[in-house]
Amino acid sequence: MNENPANNLEDELRRRLRPVEAPEGFTDRLMAALPAQQKPVVVPFTPKASRPSPARQFGMPAALAASLLVAVFLGMQVASDRAHDEEIARLEEQKGIAASQELMQALRVTSQKLDLAYEAVNSPPTAGDEENRS
Amino acid sequence: MNLSTAQSMPDSLLAQARAGDRNAFATLVRAHQGSVFSIGLRMLSRRDAAEDLAQDVFLQLYRKLDSIESLEHLGFWLRRVAANLAIDWLRRLPYSATRPLDEGAEVAAHEAEHDPLMSRELLRLLGELPPHPRAVMLLRYQEDRDVAEIAAMLDMPVNTVKSHIKRSLTALRGQMIGAKLVDCEELP
Repeated sequence: MNENPANNLEDELRRRLRPVEAPEGFTDRLMAALPAQQKPVVVPFTPKASRPSPARQFGMPAALAASLLVAVFLGMQVASDRAHDEEIARLEEQKGIAASQELMQALRVTSQKLDLAYEAVNSPPTAGDEENRS
Repeated sequence: MNLSTAQSMPDSLLAQARAGDRNAFATLVRAHQGSVFSIGLRMLSRRDAAEDLAQDVFLQLYRKLDSIESLEHLGFWLRRVAANLAIDWLRRLPYSATRPLDEGAEVAAHEAEHDPLMSRELLRLLGELPPHPRAVMLLRYQEDRDVAEIAAMLDMPVNTVKSHIKRSLTALRGQMIGAKLVDCEELP
């Protein structure tokens, strides 16, 4: 160990952890394992002019047909919903009119009864009425 | 070939290797194979696995030569790939983390002037560290890389690297004192 105890272990590690030699023939074995062709050949990408694949050939029409079907189905659904809403609104309106008519009839009857009562109160008393009082 | 040889190589060597010169590529391999093999050996504790790892690293290099910008970048790249590949192999393969390092011959050859028992024990204790701290210690003391470089190589914060070094040194000191390889007074 050296004279500076603070660095003893670090110095020992540096001394004793020096890289060791790779096994004999390592480079030769590695070079033999390398691919035969030195550099990979880069083939530029060119789009194929040949017949497109079935997925590519039928994909777009199928997607369009599916979109159309979905659009038709949604349209029918919206139309059905709208007709249903209109029917409900019409029924509600009829109910409202009937209720209004009943109310007007009730008001008319009440008005007639009030008229009769007013006349009865304001007309002069008859002889029969006096006898009944005594 | 050692690190100084690698540093003295001309930059044109990399360009030649990129252009398909197999001899130039072989020269680059010879310059770095010791370091890459040693990282594999001290991480995986097996010579056969270390050679497989080194071969894998250089085959990756061969495929990625176009992305290597300079000889300095090459050194960084090789050590980064070797360390991370070793950590990955330790996760996936049944290598024993506590297996004694199988490099007795190398220790005897290189450390004849030192205490071979001490070297062997130090390497054994290093082999007991978990994969990440072990990789940090190897890059720090075998490859003499600074903490910022190690952080970049292992994709971890600089403070984590410092922490791994500090804890590993403390653990190694403790174990070496426990094994009575050194006196308590020698290692603080």
